[in-house]
Amino acid sequence: MLDKNSVQEIIFQALNNINDERGPDEQIELGPETRLFGTDAALDSLSLVSVVVDVEEAVSGVSGRQISLTNDRAMSQTVSPFSDVSTLTNYILLLLSEA
Amino acid sequence: MTRHYEGKFALVTGSRRGVGRLIAEHLLIHGARVAGFARGESTIDHPDYAHFQVDIGDPESVLAGFSALRKITDSVQIVVNNAAVLTSQYAMIMPPEAAQAMLNTNLLGAFMVSREASKMMRKTRWGRIVNISSMAVSLEPVGDSVYAASKAGLSTLANVMAKELAPLNVTCNTLAVSAIRTDMLAQLPQEKIASVIAGLPIPRFAEPADIFNALDFFTSESSSYITAQTIYLGGVN
Repeated sequence: MLDKNSVQEIIFQALNNINDERGPDEQIELGPETRLFGTDAALDSLSLVSVVVDVEEAVSGVSGRQISLTNDRAMSQTVSPFSDVSTLTNYILLLLSEA
Repeated sequence: MTRHYEGKFALVTGSRRGVGRLIAEHLLIHGARVAGFARGESTIDHPDYAHFQVDIGDPESVLAGFSALRKITDSVQIVVNNAAVLTSQYAMIMPPEAAQAMLNTNLLGAFMVSREASKMMRKTRWGRIVNISSMAVSLEPVGDSVYAASKAGLSTLANVMAKELAPLNVTCNTLAVSAIRTDMLAQLPQEKIASVIAGLPIPRFAEPADIFNALDFFTSESSSYITAQTIYLGGVN
């Protein structure tokens, strides 16, 4: 079972993949409160898609379970899973905790 | 013999027969490694060909196919969405399940394959997606309501994905083939085929080389500025 730190590391790695393609002045600062979606988000739409795909693949690879971060359930959460790294971490842990 | 596909990995759906098999063999002859997705067993025997039994009309089967594909390669550069099924019948008596099957395989299947392949292409930032469409889109033949609609959808699918994937240097185009002698065409009444051929600006069957010519154009290194386009063979428009 992935713990909170492991999931957060997966998200950071996905963000680092974006940073690898960006210039020194455009680097995303990594932290639990890094905004992923919204007007003050650090990511454009295509970058967010890349992060979602990377995170889905990595979580599935490590846990052996397929997860979807973009289905109706994710979109109907009171607090968007994509608000920031922390909310995404918690949403992934919720999915993994379910049978 | 030029090997202009050397170093490329291509995925062809519906690779067992007809246009899909022709395209898979063309890519192999010219140096590509090729994976084929089709429901049945392989009909291609080549050291650089890997076959996966996948029902393109079933999203779960497509996902399973990509899981298997990723075990032999982490990179796909070229996708040819060719798999299709055809039931030609007046709309009033078209079985709903036949209509659904055409949408599932011809349109949703192409979407699922493009969706999964583009995830692989984004890592190398290079890709060519070619959807195989049909002259039926333009000619709108009686009996082909759902088939033609599903094929028309392929152009829209490619055009939207072209915008989404352009930043990743992935192009998405559509090749609408005219009548070519395949098992699928043989399902149709001969007089209907003859009538269609006679009405074409270039009144003959398409030859494999006609398809390869347009395919090579869409997939070439030089075509990085060619995206969201549909080419009709034989003068259909």
